[in-house]
Amino acid sequence: MSAVDTTRIDLLEHFLDLTSSRHGLIAGNISNIDTPGYRTRDMDFKAEVMKLVKSPEQTPGPVVREVRNLMERPDGNNVSLDREGLLLAQTQLQYRLGIQLVKEEIHRIEMAINDGK
Amino acid sequence: MDLFSILDLSGHALTAERQRAEVVTANLANAETTRTPEGGPYVRKHVLFETDAPGGFGGALNSAIERNTRGVHVSAVVADQTPPIKRFDPGHPDADASGFVSLPAINPTEEMVDLMSAVRSYQLNTAAIAATKSMIVQSLEILR
Repeated sequence: MSAVDTTRIDLLEHFLDLTSSRHGLIAGNISNIDTPGYRTRDMDFKAEVMKLVKSPEQTPGPVVREVRNLMERPDGNNVSLDREGLLLAQTQLQYRLGIQLVKEEIHRIEMAINDGK
Repeated sequence: MDLFSILDLSGHALTAERQRAEVVTANLANAETTRTPEGGPYVRKHVLFETDAPGGFGGALNSAIERNTRGVHVSAVVADQTPPIKRFDPGHPDADASGFVSLPAINPTEEMVDLMSAVRSYQLNTAAIAATKSMIVQSLEILR
């Protein structure tokens, strides 16, 4: 057993990975906003986080699917400007949350090393 | 999918949108051009966007995320097939034997709308870049 327990940092690392992956999907959707026939892609973020919490070790990577029930334009593209803009802000905040928690965790370990100071 | 490749992806989208804006502007500028080096009136151009092939960047494509995070590129700039507009103007130096001048089939309103759409998409991509950048800066915060 290691002297310093880093389970929580490891979990947070996976969380940050997940968030930046989703951010990539959103950036991809945005860059294809004018590509005829492109379909919006996304992951079920809640479900992926739950999967992560249950078994952080064995995650096969998030499942990506096409998003349904979006308004489709005549050229077959269904990227929604508002949806992607909103999700962009959302993932950014989620990422920030993850970073804050990592900092907090490191701070705690540091405090233990420094005899509670 | 690391944040720097995402930055790259949005950067390519900016290039594509700018190219689209350039072509639209050229169409607008040449709305009345009757002479070109190739002969005949100017022909309206279209930009074709295409999604990048999977694994276009980053190399390995094992995860669903890497297969689905795709950028965009301009696959071709093609000429419009619409025949030129004939306008009766016998005094024009480029008028044909029956007095008709061939003008490019360009509708300035249509081009303006296209230009606005390109600008909007460009802005949204810039927002995505700003978001990615701030995420990178935030992860540097861990070091402090």
